[in-house]
Amino acid sequence: MVIRKEKKSCGQVVEEWKEFVWNPRTHQFMGRTGTSWAFILLFYLVFYGFLTAMFTLTMWVMLQTVSDHTPKYQDRLATPGLMIRPKTENLDVIVNISDTESWDQHVQKLNKFLEPYNDSIQAQKNDVCRPGRYYEQPDNGVLNYPKRACQFNRTQLGDCSGIGDPTHYGYSTGQPCVFIKMNRVINFYAGANQSMNVTCAGKRDEDAENLGSFVMFPANGNIDLMYFPYYGKKFHVNYTQPLVAVKFLNVTPNVEVNVECRINAANIATDDERDKFAGRVAFKLRINKT
Amino acid sequence: MAPGSACPLPPTPPPSRVLCCCTRWSSGHQEGEPSGQRGPAGPHTSAQRCQYCTLVLFQKTPEIYSVELNGTKDIDKTDKGDGKEKYRGLKNKPSNCKKNHQIQEIKEELDLNDHKLSNEDLEKKYGTNIITGLSSARAAELLARDGPNALSPPKETPETVKFLKQMVGGFSILLWIGAILCWVAYGIQYSNDPSSSLDNVYLGAVLVLVVILTGTFAYYQEAKSTNIIASFSKMIPQQALVIRDAEKKTIPSEQLVVGDIVEIKGGDQIPADIRLLSSQGCKVDNSSLTGESEPQVRSCDFTHDNPLETKNMCFYSTTCLEGVATGMVINTGDSTIIGQIASLASGVGDEKTPIAIEIEHFVHIVAGVSVSIGIIFFIITVSMKYPVLDSIIFLIGVIVANVPEGLLATVTVTLSLTAKRMAKKNCLVKNLEAVETLGSTSIICSDKTGTLTQNRMTVAHLWFDNQIFMADTSEDHSNQIFDQSSGTWTSLSKIITLCNRAEFKPGQENVPIMKKTVIGDASETALLKFSEVILGDVMEIRKRNRKVAEIPFNSTNKFQLSIHETDDPNDKRFLMVMKGAPERILEKCSTIMINGQEQPLDESRATFHTAYMELGGLGERVLGFCHLYLPADEFPETYSFDVDTMNFPTSNLCFVGLLSMIDPPRSTVPNAVTRCRSAGIKVIMVTGDHPITAKAIARNAGIISANSETVEDIAKCLNIAVEQVNKWDAKAAVVTGMELKDMSPEQLDELLANHSEIVFARTSPQQKLIIVEGCQRLGAVVAVTGDGVNDSPALKKADIGIAMGIAGSDAAKNAADMVLLDDNFASIVTGVEEGRLIFDNLKKTMAYTLTKNMAMVFPFMLYTIVGFPLPIATVTTLFIDLGTDIIPFIALAYEKAERDIMNRKPRHKKDRLVNKPLVLYSLLHVGVIVTLGAFVVYFTVYAQAGFRPSTLIGLRVKWEKDDVNDLEDSYGQEWTRYQRQYLEWTGYTAFFIAIMVQQIANLIIRKTRRNSIFQQGLFSNKVIWVGIASQIIIALILSYGLGSVTALNCTMLRVQYWFVALPYAILIWVYDEVRKLFIRLYPGGWWDKNMYY
Repeated sequence: MVIRKEKKSCGQVVEEWKEFVWNPRTHQFMGRTGTSWAFILLFYLVFYGFLTAMFTLTMWVMLQTVSDHTPKYQDRLATPGLMIRPKTENLDVIVNISDTESWDQHVQKLNKFLEPYNDSIQAQKNDVCRPGRYYEQPDNGVLNYPKRACQFNRTQLGDCSGIGDPTHYGYSTGQPCVFIKMNRVINFYAGANQSMNVTCAGKRDEDAENLGSFVMFPANGNIDLMYFPYYGKKFHVNYTQPLVAVKFLNVTPNVEVNVECRINAANIATDDERDKFAGRVAFKLRINKT
Repeated sequence: MAPGSACPLPPTPPPSRVLCCCTRWSSGHQEGEPSGQRGPAGPHTSAQRCQYCTLVLFQKTPEIYSVELNGTKDIDKTDKGDGKEKYRGLKNKPSNCKKNHQIQEIKEELDLNDHKLSNEDLEKKYGTNIITGLSSARAAELLARDGPNALSPPKETPETVKFLKQMVGGFSILLWIGAILCWVAYGIQYSNDPSSSLDNVYLGAVLVLVVILTGTFAYYQEAKSTNIIASFSKMIPQQALVIRDAEKKTIPSEQLVVGDIVEIKGGDQIPADIRLLSSQGCKVDNSSLTGESEPQVRSCDFTHDNPLETKNMCFYSTTCLEGVATGMVINTGDSTIIGQIASLASGVGDEKTPIAIEIEHFVHIVAGVSVSIGIIFFIITVSMKYPVLDSIIFLIGVIVANVPEGLLATVTVTLSLTAKRMAKKNCLVKNLEAVETLGSTSIICSDKTGTLTQNRMTVAHLWFDNQIFMADTSEDHSNQIFDQSSGTWTSLSKIITLCNRAEFKPGQENVPIMKKTVIGDASETALLKFSEVILGDVMEIRKRNRKVAEIPFNSTNKFQLSIHETDDPNDKRFLMVMKGAPERILEKCSTIMINGQEQPLDESRATFHTAYMELGGLGERVLGFCHLYLPADEFPETYSFDVDTMNFPTSNLCFVGLLSMIDPPRSTVPNAVTRCRSAGIKVIMVTGDHPITAKAIARNAGIISANSETVEDIAKCLNIAVEQVNKWDAKAAVVTGMELKDMSPEQLDELLANHSEIVFARTSPQQKLIIVEGCQRLGAVVAVTGDGVNDSPALKKADIGIAMGIAGSDAAKNAADMVLLDDNFASIVTGVEEGRLIFDNLKKTMAYTLTKNMAMVFPFMLYTIVGFPLPIATVTTLFIDLGTDIIPFIALAYEKAERDIMNRKPRHKKDRLVNKPLVLYSLLHVGVIVTLGAFVVYFTVYAQAGFRPSTLIGLRVKWEKDDVNDLEDSYGQEWTRYQRQYLEWTGYTAFFIAIMVQQIANLIIRKTRRNSIFQQGLFSNKVIWVGIASQIIIALILSYGLGSVTALNCTMLRVQYWFVALPYAILIWVYDEVRKLFIRLYPGGWWDKNMYY
């Protein structure tokens, strides 16, 4: 069969379109009369109104299954991740000693980050807890909130507290402080009732050499059990995350050093193949000196 | 088209007409006015008309004689007369060049003059010797020069081209673009950061893989179905008996060369174009060449200038029916007449089938939508300050989400499934897409002989004792109910049995009588079988009545006579039996047998004429029978009969009865034609036969329905001239080839448009092409049946060419899209039904596919614009398109029709497979529900893991940052990148499963478009449930079996998430039931118009 396709001239096409948009004979606009449009719009209004209602209802029902203070499932968060501050692009901590601007943004971030840790604020909001044991506040059938949090004073960070520090956390002198924090996970009893600490090391041998010595605050990189468990941001309003500060004292300048810090805790695995941040954190450190 | 198509040629009558007429015995159907006498069928519209008819009937009687006496000339006259009466004034128009060019081409190319040459000239011309033939060396030389004696097969598209077409056709090109974009994106990423992830490379590779897999699959499917045909058309190599090196040799006919001397005998196919040198009783069947079904005598005499008509030529691919002949090969292979016609057929281009157009339309819609959404997205994302790279990746996502990758391959499967189903019903489909074309057919141009009829002469009526009896003409003759007690019948049956030279071929004891092969011509065969069925062993009867003398039939005498001893030992008389053209027989009679008693003929003459007229008017071939017991005293037992001197009386015989024969319609045909009519399909009969016969068969087959009349009928009944009748009052029309020849295309269009029942009689196969073109000008989808080589241009030209599997020539089968294995018209109707069903079911498949597009595109919108973490990944959408949805696609092909699809009008060309309501309903109704359902599951997964919906808004950027490993959720917990990633994959899986669950509901609702699922039967189509099971199993495997394979982005999903979308699945079902309910309640209403797809 021959395809009897009539080639339409340009004018015809325009004419057809015109007629499609407004057909004066049938009073059709875009192929429909006014009543037809009214019907169809009404229909879609009703139909989509109904669907919206249905969607809202199902979402509401679904949200009823979710509690306010604990997520329903936490299986993904079995191993909390570790993270550093200052948070830098690609976790590369690069300090040009002579170039103030290169580290000033880190310093600003850290100032802001450490503000809630100021001793005065901590003293005002949080309790002094007994170290070495979990600070549990069970509900015992009655919702018991807001829950209290334990103090983590900025002064505990020693040389890295940045209080009255002319070296700006060591960034101006090439001895930068990097803060390690462990991700919050609700109802997670980190350490399984045993003490835990953070250790850092160069990733490879040459990194270890270039890394030089460092000090940790609190001493040994300890994280106390009293900061656990975490009860969630709604209940545990003033929760202060424990930190470990690492001050790198003599990093070989002008070399990229791969540092890896990990937490040593009985119930935190640090060898997940896929999740490179499970119980550990790797970052690059580079001090540029001219 | 034709080289030098000079026109006009003088309107020579087609050769068939001349030849066929002189072999006719009876004049019944050669009567001039084609409609004067009608059988008992065909009541008139008014009583008045009937009165007129009866009058006319009697007035016309004398004409019968004249027709008979003038033989062939008369046909021309009457035909011309018809033309003049009907379309007066057209006769003198210069014959239309364009219209006749096909015929002219064929005729012009026959610049043969070998038939005019003497044997000596021939020997010289071809360098051969009539006695010794060619030498082997010379033959080999010629074979090398001319090539083998076979038609070069039609040019086939090379396999590589076919394969490549599959690779770039349809959606493939979009996916290629997607894949290339993926790699470009990776290239850019790589140049910025050599350590960037290989995700995009993988995605690109997956897309290419998809294209290659689906392409290969589609190619394989097509190749498989082509192979069925290939194996079918392969024939047993033919042998030819040839004289070479003065020896008779049997060689494959492919090795014949010009100048070979070949011998042919009855049953052989003519191996090449042959000029006869000697012949003994040779008859050939030229039907495949000229469409003329009558056997034609061949001798070595040059009788006509036209090589097609001269008696000393035989043509390649025709069949020698009986006798032997020797001839010289004058043309081989493609230079034969058939070869030339076959090459003509290949000039008519291949056309796109309707379903191909529809699928293309669908591809255009989908491609258009996905590309435009993609580009809009690209612009939005770029203006939202996303990096161009990300925008490109979104673009790919949108394209891949929109394109139903697996669909086109499954359409092929669906079509081939239907093709298989049709093959079981004797329709062999060569071109898969023809399956649907058949369904949209609005006109069927059918052959008569063999297709509508049984293709064998059968005794239809008997007249004796002044009464017409009907014989059973059904295929098995099982039910002969006429009165056989009369003494006249006893005599008549004896004549039928004895005056007959036909014999069963030996060795067929176990074959049913009607299927036995007979040696003899068509009429005698009919009589033999008729008597065998009624009387039992005819051979035995003949043995008992030993034949002592015989005059075979010849066209001068127009009778056949034989003299027998009787089987009554006491009766020593000889019995002379005679049969022949009724008026001839009557002339020789003086008495007639009534109720077994001889009576004077006088009173019965009128009744004889009435009966003869009536039977003739039925288009039947009438034979008269008479006998005479020769007095024993004049003709003693020892009397020696001499047939040359005729030493016995041939007058004053006793007339016994009439018997009329016809090639009756197949018993399934009337019903099939009725079904066609109720399905809005016009059936046009195109035949080379005489108008009267054609019309009679048309009436029997229902092509001209009982209550419709032709112009001639009306004229006759009102007793006015034909030209006074308003042409358009007549529903039916019988048009002869002569009339057709003189019609302009406009007149033909008018004719085709204004008569609902048309019979073309006396047409040459070439005129079929003109008729097909006319129908196509009216916008019809035309199916054409054909068997001869000459039909192949028409078969090609038709939207769907249907070749006959049994009677069809190879050329016809090559040109056709479909082959009817049983040559039965009813099979076409079955095919039409299947074709319509497949269209409906494909519509359902398309609707099913389109629905999920919404659910696959929406996530990308919300991802880019609202900033949700990605709900479903590009790769995951492929799981749906190529995994869970594949078997459901195919399952829908097994769905039964909702209503009687044969009561609908044929699909108009503007009725698209994918129309507006279908798109709107699928995307904006069901699609939206599916999307909402999937999002509910998505939100559930995130909320229960810690990210409430409100938190998700605008989370995308941070979420996807690899260096953010302490992203806070709604509860203050912090997540590493990998933890989030895993949650995202869980989201993908959940979204995927939500779509899958709702697709189950979607699949169920797509079973019907109008009826309730419960009317249709939820379990009526088992394959649907296989499809549903496959969906669930594939999802289970992906989630639980392969959940740990990172590249698939699937996770083990919590069991309850499988059920979250269930309310929406139920909503889909309920909503669709409501939709269908309103459609059924208010047919034609606003709802129906907007909601029925």
